[in-house]
Amino acid sequence: MAATFVFSERNGAGEVVTDDIANVNMGSVDSVELVPASYPITRGDNSFCKYISGKFTGVWTQISNLKFWKSAGALVTGETIKASANAVYAQPSQVDTGDSDIPTTEGTALSLNSAEGAATIEYGVSGVSGYTGNVRLQTQIAVGASAGATNQKTYTLQYDEI
Amino acid sequence: MKDNSISKQIEIKNSIDNLSFLWLACFKNEDLIFQYQDGKENRFQLVKDCFEELKYFILYHKENSLYFLVDLQKGNISFMNYEDKDSEEKKNNIRLIYFRRNRIEISGDKQNHTVTYHLGYQYSDLQGNNRKVILEIYQNGSWIINN
Repeated sequence: MAATFVFSERNGAGEVVTDDIANVNMGSVDSVELVPASYPITRGDNSFCKYISGKFTGVWTQISNLKFWKSAGALVTGETIKASANAVYAQPSQVDTGDSDIPTTEGTALSLNSAEGAATIEYGVSGVSGYTGNVRLQTQIAVGASAGATNQKTYTLQYDEI
Repeated sequence: MKDNSISKQIEIKNSIDNLSFLWLACFKNEDLIFQYQDGKENRFQLVKDCFEELKYFILYHKENSLYFLVDLQKGNISFMNYEDKDSEEKKNNIRLIYFRRNRIEISGDKQNHTVTYHLGYQYSDLQGNNRKVILEIYQNGSWIINN
């Protein structure tokens, strides 16, 4: 079969990896697939950052041109989403990551490497895990932000496969 | 709640079902390599390893008669009865371009995986400039020229 893709997330002090996550919900806890209503982000605060990656299994020859961006979901007043590519894992916290605003177009998308730092993911090569590098995400809510839920976001990961 | 139903597994996990087009490589010595052959997949690496010997590269739809053919000797691409207009131009160093562009969107608890096929060739013209002709082909067989 061709390559099979799933999103993965890393959490905790021990960098616990969860493959095939169902969502990328942001909130005030370091947890995979959290329920935002149970862990809201207080105004003037940040979400716990998330470390998201892609994982490839199956059979392929080469994966390349990996990109990640926010493709839909308008930000409300006072809401920003920060992101960086190929981030080294550290236990997630609510401390400002200092990353840039997440790109919102394919043309400005973050470029991802393999987890091992290569521009491509080659099949069957020793030492290749099949994971992409981490995308670190954090939602930041300003003190003056509107009360209530934010809009649902759509994140896109794109790659070329042969 | 996470949907682990069989239909979800098939939708997301079975990458074969994500592909509506498969490739067929035809070599100068008449050898053929199908992407799927005898119940298993041949990696594209087999074609890459023999690029110099490649004569035609065909992308065909699994369920109907649609096909695209790249002629690596003449340097042209045809879709059924259509052939690109530049086919009479003298072309040197003709090389295949083929990859599948995968786009996975995650939104709430939903994921959507789309695949487009990028098929064509590049060559050197008489002035030595590198030229590319690429079709972007969608799962339903519609396509656009993406030079």
